[in-house]
Amino acid sequence: MIEIGRLCIKIAGRDAGLKCVIVDILDNKFVLIDGQTRRRKCNILHLEPLKEVIKIKKNASHEDIKKEFKKLNLKARDTKPKQKTDRPRKQRKTSKQLRDQKTEKKKEKVISKKKEKPEGKKEESLEEKASLSEKDKKEKSKKPVKGKTENKNK
Amino acid sequence: MPEPYKRSRTLRRLQVKVPGGRTALHYKKRKPGKAKCSKCSAILKGVPRERPFKMVNLPKTKKRPERPYGGNLCSKCTRSLIIEKSRS
Repeated sequence: MIEIGRLCIKIAGRDAGLKCVIVDILDNKFVLIDGQTRRRKCNILHLEPLKEVIKIKKNASHEDIKKEFKKLNLKARDTKPKQKTDRPRKQRKTSKQLRDQKTEKKKEKVISKKKEKPEGKKEESLEEKASLSEKDKKEKSKKPVKGKTENKNK
Repeated sequence: MPEPYKRSRTLRRLQVKVPGGRTALHYKKRKPGKAKCSKCSAILKGVPRERPFKMVNLPKTKKRPERPYGGNLCSKCTRSLIIEKSRS
């Protein structure tokens, strides 16, 4: 029953229930199949042979089998090959780029330090303002402010 | 005495090691029964036995074999069914 061109139904696996053709006999156990199923090696025990036999050559290509299947009003499996897309890969930085990075980082550090200094100045100025305001208060109302200042001195 | 619902054996008992070092008794709901073939009532392989909240999080391909009638019929019954269909 098992010969090249024999139509079969696959019984096992995810292609079970689909029709296929034996394309090549590899072994006393295994055959190559193609058709509605994927083109693959298959155990004879996983095939249920049918009555029909197609005239095909040994190791016939998938396109030939497609044509033969069209004659039988069957649709052979179409696979869309995946389009090759470039995987995003990290490129190593050259020595020049690394140097530039370092200089940039240094610049950033300097800028951040510069930013800190004026903030400190501001605080001082605020204190000064506070002291100024206290002085103003002293001038305005001497008794309560005096007590506060004495506490501070202690 | 534990509460009445913990005294009956409807809940599964788990000995859990607590971060403090002691072991504590935890109570959990039991798993559902194993999936069976609808034709020959054999236990199906490749079908996990989990509570529904865990089954929801599993991908579809991990819940049943990827073959026609997968998760309903066992492999032997699917084979015989396909052969019968092809011969009729």
